[in-house]
Amino acid sequence: MRRLLPVVAVMALMAIFGFGIYSVLGTLKSSRHHTTKPTQSQALIDLPGTVVVVQDGQIYRLNSLKFTPVKAPAYDWVQVEPAPGGDILAVAYSSAYTNVYLLNAKGQVVRELLSESSSQYLNNHWAYYPKVSPDGKTLFYAADWLDPSQGYNVDFQIQAVPLANPSAYPVVWSQAGLWFQGGDVEPIPLAGGGIIYAKYNIDTLGNTYAQLVYVSSPYATPDPLTTAAQDCAEPALSPSGTEIAMVCTKNSLQSTTLQVASWNGTTLGTPVVISAGPEPASPTWSPDGKSVLYLNTLLTDKSSPFQLWWVPKATALKPGAPQQVTADLNFTATSPPVWTA
Amino acid sequence: MLVAALLVFGFGLSGVSGGVAYFLPAISAALNITGHQTQGNSPNGNHPTPTPSTTPNQPFNVLLLGSDNDTKFAPDQVLAQTMIVVRVNPQAHSVVMFSIPRDLWVPIGNGGPAKIDTAYADGGAAEAISTVENNFGIPINYWVWIGLGGLVHLVNDLHDVNIVAQMPILDDEYPYDLTGGNPYAYARIAILPGPQRLGGVAALEYARSRHGDILSDIARSQKQQQLLLDIKASAKDVGLADVPTIAGSLGDSVKTDMSITQVTSLLTLAKAFSDGSVQQIVMVGSQYFSNGTIDGQSVLLPNWTGINALVAQYFPS
Repeated sequence: MRRLLPVVAVMALMAIFGFGIYSVLGTLKSSRHHTTKPTQSQALIDLPGTVVVVQDGQIYRLNSLKFTPVKAPAYDWVQVEPAPGGDILAVAYSSAYTNVYLLNAKGQVVRELLSESSSQYLNNHWAYYPKVSPDGKTLFYAADWLDPSQGYNVDFQIQAVPLANPSAYPVVWSQAGLWFQGGDVEPIPLAGGGIIYAKYNIDTLGNTYAQLVYVSSPYATPDPLTTAAQDCAEPALSPSGTEIAMVCTKNSLQSTTLQVASWNGTTLGTPVVISAGPEPASPTWSPDGKSVLYLNTLLTDKSSPFQLWWVPKATALKPGAPQQVTADLNFTATSPPVWTA
Repeated sequence: MLVAALLVFGFGLSGVSGGVAYFLPAISAALNITGHQTQGNSPNGNHPTPTPSTTPNQPFNVLLLGSDNDTKFAPDQVLAQTMIVVRVNPQAHSVVMFSIPRDLWVPIGNGGPAKIDTAYADGGAAEAISTVENNFGIPINYWVWIGLGGLVHLVNDLHDVNIVAQMPILDDEYPYDLTGGNPYAYARIAILPGPQRLGGVAALEYARSRHGDILSDIARSQKQQQLLLDIKASAKDVGLADVPTIAGSLGDSVKTDMSITQVTSLLTLAKAFSDGSVQQIVMVGSQYFSNGTIDGQSVLLPNWTGINALVAQYFPS
């Protein structure tokens, strides 16, 4: 018995060793792209004011390096935009439609603005990119438009409704070309009354491109602000209304650049690249209009999840270098951060 | 001395057993996925086998076949709605991806002309290969087939994929055949433009939808090539320990005639290629084909002058 015990013990050790090898191999799985909840992370740079972002359907507020969840109803939130008085416009995704809500700073629903049930006029199901006009009276957004003659010919177009009465019949500001020409998205209502938006198109060679365009009134002919070769979208107007940040691809499907150009109300100046890659997206301006916050992958890994990045002195002749604001998070790249003082 | 040797042997055996247990699912799945025989018909009635590339640094061509393998189709009679010939030149470190439109009207097997996507349904990989070889003059060295679920699992196992969506994708009649009970059901989908991170289902929607675009299948080919490059970027850090998970989840959704060794070599090779070394070829315009209707089907009638010139440029013999 005494001699058997050591043998059993050694065999048990061998079994544990074998199981250990099995377990160790499991831990050797690539830990790349490990992400966590924002509440379990901390920003690397203390940005002034408050930033609101979206990750995994949840809205978070970044303040003094720390993230706190915005206690909104348990919807699948996919986009946030600023609204007057510190409120937030938020888009909730469902499996076949989106609804747009006005949330207060605590995340409580002030009003449902656009919903599947209010789409009776134009048969809309999707509403994205909500923006309130500078006078606070009108809600602009991109909604799907179904060509009545084509069963599945759907493109985004820009629509607008009174913020006080969002169930009113929408004013159609843009009509995407017939037969699947891409669609119109990302409206920016201007103080002067017109809007800038991104217009997608397809040329005869099959190349898809986006252009920033300006229209002075509903259905007016769009004036292109960028060329097809620049392939720019995701415009963000600075608080002063004199600069536009935009995401351009030069028709590449593998990388983007973030650029800033001056805006005089009619034309854009020569753009300056403030982030050269790999995939900068969804820019927003700081409240003082001097810097730009946006989402991007890690500079050395274009397949990594999207983090917050910041470019100081974005309007200077020599803009500051991009600085990483967060790590190990996984923000929704199609939702521009909201940055308030 | 003997005791020490026994201890070393025992612990060694135990360690190897642990390793084998870990990799067993991968080995099993890999054997299931790789080394498939190229069965099916060929135009001349033979059962052709693709010609494996024997010289390590010689360029070789892989035919990628993608199918809607939902329950609308019998398991062995699925259309190859995606056909991409990938030419890999190990020496030049270059890759060409050449998409063949699924509606191209060409001679298929022994049955006369038909849409090229029916070749795989009629005669499996062999007929798909012979149809490509006979019509395009491109020798095929290997083939890989992937079903809908395979793509979804692959992207999920890679912990999602980043894409720059080239335009908004709105589709009111996207096939809802993967998870729903009715393979003929439709779903409404929306994918926003620009850089973003997609899970497996959304990545499939992006690459599969064809209703939100004037170019329809042509645009879909562009997006499929784009997704392949994005998957390659996401897969670059995959290590040996990840293989069991990935191989296990692919299950019956992927098949190839390549051996495990060849697949491993190809994956190693793929890591060495930069995006800039990949040329993406999608045929657009009347120099390659014209639209037509045959037997009530919308088809693409090939213009072989244009196609042959393109093939000669990118697939020199």
